[in-house]
Amino acid sequence: MSDQDNDHFHGHVHDPIEEGAALRVRALEELAIAKGLVDPAALESVIEYYERETGPRNGASVVAHAWTDPTFKDWLLRDGTAAIHSMGFKGYQGEHMRVVENTPDVHNVIVCTLCSCYPWPVLGLPPAWYKGPAYRSRIVREPRKVLTEFGLNLSKHRKVQVWDSTAEIRFMVLPQRPENTDGLNVEELAAIVTRDGMIGTASV
Amino acid sequence: MDSIHDLGGMHGFGAVPIENEGYTFKDTWQRRAFGLTQSLAGTVPFCADMHRKKIEQLAAVDYLQLDYFEKWTIATTELMKDSGLVNDAELASGKKQFDVNQERHPPVSSVDLVDAMKTGGTYTFPDGSRHPKFFVGDQIKVRSNCAEGHTRVPRYVRSKAGIIRNIEGIFQFADSVANGMGPDPQPCYLVEFNAAEVWGQDAEAADDLLYLDLAESYLEHA
Repeated sequence: MSDQDNDHFHGHVHDPIEEGAALRVRALEELAIAKGLVDPAALESVIEYYERETGPRNGASVVAHAWTDPTFKDWLLRDGTAAIHSMGFKGYQGEHMRVVENTPDVHNVIVCTLCSCYPWPVLGLPPAWYKGPAYRSRIVREPRKVLTEFGLNLSKHRKVQVWDSTAEIRFMVLPQRPENTDGLNVEELAAIVTRDGMIGTASV
Repeated sequence: MDSIHDLGGMHGFGAVPIENEGYTFKDTWQRRAFGLTQSLAGTVPFCADMHRKKIEQLAAVDYLQLDYFEKWTIATTELMKDSGLVNDAELASGKKQFDVNQERHPPVSSVDLVDAMKTGGTYTFPDGSRHPKFFVGDQIKVRSNCAEGHTRVPRYVRSKAGIIRNIEGIFQFADSVANGMGPDPQPCYLVEFNAAEVWGQDAEAADDLLYLDLAESYLEHA
């Protein structure tokens, strides 16, 4: 490594696996640019798009809309794709959407046991634990125990429904609207909706 | 393929490492890895199922140990090697040894790349283009075989009985697409499984349900 490379890593935790990964990525990026296969501006643009324009705030606005507009809620549950796309949240990993509603009798939770499929336009990129082996192996087999680890203790009278994203349809949970929120407007409601509430690992 | 990526139902992975993170990327190199794969997908070209297949082909120890975005980068690298766009010597040195045909592999502009992400992919075919073999309410069984290549039917539902709850549409078939064999369009079904059917007496609650979207090729009449 050059001195500049050493400077790059200085101050980071020196994990050899992480350093190997960083070097691997940089080598491929430099080669791809040198060969004219990647426009560096495009690379930066797509990263910024996912950092700035997608994320759980999008999904939260869908939920708040459904909580305040019964007609929209019916549409969202019947045709999640059309209803979500109508709010402008469309694109890669959100081409086909199914929204599943939590009720006093049913609790829903989403996973992708085979990789890490996740509804990017409404929730952004998935959290690390969603992509890891513990969540993916266990949430289908012992969802109640896993949800307890997230702080969600479900009554045995409440049915748990686990949605495994095995095809091109992406799932999102419509959480229950909390009590005592009658006075909140749609923006205030959106502010209380969490990412985990829409994955199904938390209530709102 | 039967490999470590098919994690559903496996034991031994411990507690979920819950982290109340607010970041999209934890480290700069992960940011670059994400952008690099998205930037190259149209240029190489490759699709998500091809990329997933490469990740599934990692040795189990690497699959479990490597960072998610490093696995992405390895898969992208393998797809570039398959297309003759980089070689091992270049990857080891980071220095270019040969030029590629940019007319055949044109770089994607910022505007086109972000537009492509906003538009998304097309995976469906007209509803009438295939006649579904199963209907809503049908009892089905998941076939017991497992394709050696990429497939999207998890091990934990193999040979299990379920009920068709919806015909999701006519979709491209991931197994075929990942192998570069074209879309092989077929109906995709939302299938409901009882926890007791899948996990037997180990089920936490017999009436809990599992839902999976499964291609017609994976299913047979119960």
